[in-house]
Amino acid sequence: MDLTDKEYVEHCRDGHPEDFGLLVERYQKPLFAYLTSRVGDSGQAEEAAQESFVRAFLSLKKLRKPESFYSWLLGIAGRVAKEQFRAAVQRQRDREAAETMMSDASDPRETYPLEEAIAALPESHRQVILLRYYERLSCQEVATRLGVPLGTVTKTLSRAYALLRQELAAREGAVPTVNQTQS
Amino acid sequence: MMNCAECRDNLVACAEGLLDREALLECQTHLEACAGCRAEYQAIASLQQRLVARGHAAAEVSMVAPVMQRVLQKRKEPEKETLMSTILKHRWGFGLGAAASAAAIILSTILLTSPNAQAKAVEVMTKGAQAVAKLTSIHLRGQLRTYPQDNFSSINADSPFCTIELWKQFEPEFKWRIEKPQRVAVMDGVSTVMLIKTDDTGVKFPHPSSSAFDTDWLQRIANISNTLSNELNNAQAKGWKLTTTEETAADGKLKDIVTIMARSGVPDNDYGRNNFIGTADTRRVYHFDAQSGLLEAVQIYLVRPAGEVKVFELNEIDYNPSIDPTTWKLELPADVSWAQLEPPKLPDNAKYASMTAEQAARAFFEACSREDWDEVGKFMSPVTADLKKYLGGLEIISLGDSFTSQAYVGRYVPYEIRLKNGDVKKHNLAIRNDNPAGRWQVDGGI
Repeated sequence: MDLTDKEYVEHCRDGHPEDFGLLVERYQKPLFAYLTSRVGDSGQAEEAAQESFVRAFLSLKKLRKPESFYSWLLGIAGRVAKEQFRAAVQRQRDREAAETMMSDASDPRETYPLEEAIAALPESHRQVILLRYYERLSCQEVATRLGVPLGTVTKTLSRAYALLRQELAAREGAVPTVNQTQS
Repeated sequence: MMNCAECRDNLVACAEGLLDREALLECQTHLEACAGCRAEYQAIASLQQRLVARGHAAAEVSMVAPVMQRVLQKRKEPEKETLMSTILKHRWGFGLGAAASAAAIILSTILLTSPNAQAKAVEVMTKGAQAVAKLTSIHLRGQLRTYPQDNFSSINADSPFCTIELWKQFEPEFKWRIEKPQRVAVMDGVSTVMLIKTDDTGVKFPHPSSSAFDTDWLQRIANISNTLSNELNNAQAKGWKLTTTEETAADGKLKDIVTIMARSGVPDNDYGRNNFIGTADTRRVYHFDAQSGLLEAVQIYLVRPAGEVKVFELNEIDYNPSIDPTTWKLELPADVSWAQLEPPKLPDNAKYASMTAEQAARAFFEACSREDWDEVGKFMSPVTADLKKYLGGLEIISLGDSFTSQAYVGRYVPYEIRLKNGDVKKHNLAIRNDNPAGRWQVDGGI
């Protein structure tokens, strides 16, 4: 059975840095997707993701709530993306090119808060979403991986969808469609 | 008859295709009659599409090994004596640098849980990665079973081989070019451009990129050091089987051959299975020169119930070649049709954004039928002269229910049409709406 984020963080702090690889394995894909949406280029996103993980590892002792590892990691990644963007603009040879990049990269957070919304889910719900969509397992495979009945997976997904929609609606200004009039 | 509460309890199972036929029919019947539940279902389906798109974008990511190398390097702990580092020191007698020792520590976790054959594979591939540590440029030339005009990662076991070639310069400035007979992409350090030669369609990103246009799999092979560590990492994480053999070539030189059985995880009944390197179960064979550690050749075999088929063979690898600067210049025809990178929002955008995939496919074909090319342009970019000639005046015979694939972020709509010349075409239209305008765009399958 997979351990929780908190347990992995505590293992790392207790002299087992190799367990950090399991946190990388768990979050590399959502972090990459998040950064791709922010920087717009897969190569830069991968570079930023690696840098974010390295910084997270080096700052692990400062993490006050180990259970919030993923939210904390996204915060680090956001700062790395900003630094990377500023460095890219500086490298531009002329002002026009820099302006093009500015407009291309303008506030993508407004459009792509999905990974941030996933970070706000309870860990058990987040785990199912990550396995189903980022590891691309079927519901049955998720059930097998977690050692739970298939019905538990669909119920967890159902609840996770509702929470994600509420979170996205709050961030994107849309009206959630839960609890519509019934016929 | 299912009521609202029962329907909503089943919506996720319905969207996931987990209901039996009877429950599915009951659910569908209720959804047709109940606007509230239908809206709820559409909201779930829309969220699922967003999630599928995000997962798809990150499908090939594998950065555990490079991150852990950097992490362990940063910690600057005294080097641990591992089985791998012992093997490396004794066999080749070179001092391990910080990165190499970090790799050895990571790879030792594979050794602990794997048989000796896998340890040997790790050893060979680690040496291969070290042999290209200071790569400044590379040229790859291989053969891929694919249609000449199709995507760069597309494979077709029934096609003849096409030549596919990659030039990549890492220093002093990062540039690359990939070419197959009817498709070429160039990143010249300033922008990234692709030309599809069959209809002179161009796509341009106004910025440099490390990978674009479905070229990632070959770019990754060119980045040999990362490729080998990624393969090892995948083998560990996903339980892929690694084996090694030694061979003596005709010239007496010893060769190490590492074979990896890679599983895509894409279900057998998925439409996208086996269409791309990343969606197929494959046997990957890496040939190394035992003396230098350099990778010399790669073969990829598609593994199917009907038997194996070789779909890719990389038989020329030039390390640090001098690349002609004209390689980075792409000659474009004067009448190139540029594709929109993202469809703009239209004044009546809501009309299109609210369509289902089936409705959009019908609207697209109907517009082709009446040769209303402005309307066609709302579903596809660019609308080329060849497309007009091919689809103009068509007749729709039938359209089916759309379906999804793990290999594709959008949906497929089955169709059968009669072309103006009388030919009947039956295929699946690839259509996606993961763009800011939320409009369905035809992406392939024509």
